[in-house]
Amino acid sequence: MTESPNKFPGAMWPRFHRNSDEHLNPYHTFRDYRQTWGMAIFVLMTAAFLPLIIMTLIDYQLIETSINTEALLRTERLTSNARRAVTFFLEERLAALKFTVNEMGYDQLTNPGVLSEVLRNLKLGFGGLTDLSVIADDGNQVTYAGPFNLEGKDYSNQSWFMECQRHNACVSEVFSGYRNVPHIVVAVKSMRADGRLFVLRATLETERLIQALSSYQTGEHADIFLITRDGLLQTPSRFYEGKSNKVDIPLPAYSGRTKAKISTDRNGQPILIGYAFIDTEMAPTSFILMVVKQKAGMMKVWLDLRSDIFWFFVVSAVILAIVITLTSTVMVNKIFQADRQKAQTMVMAEQNCQLASIGQLAAGVAHEINNPLALINETAGYVKDLFTIKHQYKEDPELVEHIDSIIEAVGRCGTITRQLLGFARQLDIQIQPTDLREIVGDVVNFHKKEAEYRNIAIHIEIPETIPLIETDRGKLQQIILNLVNNAFQAIENGCSLDVWAEMDGPERVRLFIRDDGCGISEDHLNKVFEPFFTTKKEGQGTGLGLSITYGLVQKLHGDIIVKSKTGQGTTFVVTLPVKINKDNQT
Amino acid sequence: MKVLLVDDEQKFAQMLAKRLELRGIQTNVFFSGQKALDAVEQGNRFDVAILDVVMPGIGGIELKRRLFLLDSEMKFVFLTGHGSKMDYAAVAQEAEHYLPKPLQIDVLIETLNRLAEGE
Repeated sequence: MTESPNKFPGAMWPRFHRNSDEHLNPYHTFRDYRQTWGMAIFVLMTAAFLPLIIMTLIDYQLIETSINTEALLRTERLTSNARRAVTFFLEERLAALKFTVNEMGYDQLTNPGVLSEVLRNLKLGFGGLTDLSVIADDGNQVTYAGPFNLEGKDYSNQSWFMECQRHNACVSEVFSGYRNVPHIVVAVKSMRADGRLFVLRATLETERLIQALSSYQTGEHADIFLITRDGLLQTPSRFYEGKSNKVDIPLPAYSGRTKAKISTDRNGQPILIGYAFIDTEMAPTSFILMVVKQKAGMMKVWLDLRSDIFWFFVVSAVILAIVITLTSTVMVNKIFQADRQKAQTMVMAEQNCQLASIGQLAAGVAHEINNPLALINETAGYVKDLFTIKHQYKEDPELVEHIDSIIEAVGRCGTITRQLLGFARQLDIQIQPTDLREIVGDVVNFHKKEAEYRNIAIHIEIPETIPLIETDRGKLQQIILNLVNNAFQAIENGCSLDVWAEMDGPERVRLFIRDDGCGISEDHLNKVFEPFFTTKKEGQGTGLGLSITYGLVQKLHGDIIVKSKTGQGTTFVVTLPVKINKDNQT
Repeated sequence: MKVLLVDDEQKFAQMLAKRLELRGIQTNVFFSGQKALDAVEQGNRFDVAILDVVMPGIGGIELKRRLFLLDSEMKFVFLTGHGSKMDYAAVAQEAEHYLPKPLQIDVLIETLNRLAEGE
């Protein structure tokens, strides 16, 4: 009655959000239902979301870890395989040179015809060789077989030659040398018959190595290439070929084993790097085999999964939130309504209690009044007896009249006390034959003084044909009392109140109570029996009178309707069974 | 007709006795049950006993039982002042005749006459 509920949210909004029955609040179990509702949602959400979030995060973490581990393992395996191929490529050729040196010796090899024959055989057997040369210990080339004209060149200053002096064999970096064609030098050192050292050198086509490597290149996001330990690119690279030959990824620390790790490239993108330092059995090399995979590209599976997990989480969260909100709202609303009913019952009980107290008070008053009344009665009676029986004052009619008025007053008092006592007893009286006329008379008598004072005309018309009705006398009395009270409150001074009854078939009696007071407006008409509906100012009416009346009529298996027009008065029609079926009595 | 009237409300009892006397009914008044019992035990006979229900000491109901033991021909009329439910229930078990206070003298006289004539 205070706030008007918004049209759409109002329909969705739980009742407790527009609770305005302030007088019921003291009887509610919870003080603030909105807070209870909020708490319920908060607790349920926390309980539901916390595990969901934790599980999602763990799932996220687990999948990411396992995918990373898997990717690292695959990279490592790929690197390892490629390393074996590169190592094998070099070792095979070194072994061939070693074999040639040991088999043929310095003298035969320095024969150009023999050397050319050896080159031809090696090309047939292994391929990938360009030329062969024998170099003396002073660095001068002694014999050469191959396509370039390089006879008599001095290699003493070349790094690979110096490397070869230190070890028994060597593998150079890729370089162009005198011939201006990128190549790799492999050489083995051996001893002449006179004890001096010499070197058999072969140059390898880099093309063969590049081919061998590219066969390991898998997918568009992977790159496989060789670099030197200084980071110089040795074979073509998909991602790192630039103006300088130096690759701009962090160089790994030396390790004898194949390794893989996660790193970032120059753009800050995550990459997987697999690397292996290439060493042959006979000689170390300066090559590092690098396998680089762009994580973003190869992680598409992971990204898809991640988005699946994310959407799973979002959809679950939304469903949970909706279900929790709806459930909480419905449950708290149910509790609220149950609580409200309880509160209404409590208020009702309180009301009944008050009625019972009034009853007790009435009994007490009657008790106290009755004895003195009895005495007045007897005394006055005796005085009258003196007049009438003893004939002493028979000629004094005025005195007799006065005494008669005393007796009449006492009689009226007696009636009132009897009615009060009847009212006190009504609360627990059982079903009994009841005279409607008598009850209406009793109730109207209560208002006689007020009616006289306010100049209200009361007409009672209950025909003799109305039989005794078997009903709860007390409750019927209260019903009529409430309706008459109601009428008295509605009418102005000088108006009238009509009470009449008629039969409604053989089984039912209809009682009409009509006033010509202010009437009830149409929009209030269907609310008058609702508990706590009142048009009076706050504190002047509980709004319970008619709802109690309604409940009482129901208890007597009857029904009550109201007809009214604003300004023309109101008629309440109570229909009651002549006989209550006790089996159905509630 | 001889009437025994027992009521602890002394003035009321005296006044009622006077009114009965005026109507030619011989009335003995006692203000307690015990005194009434003593009188009957001493051999006084009454046709009808008018007893107040609620009295200190011996109440109306108890008094009726004991008087009945002494004189089984005695008739009884009860006066109920308090009109409480218990009063009515108790009286209803013990007697057919009870009258509420304040009394209507004509009704009392009529009741007494009917009882004296043996109904």
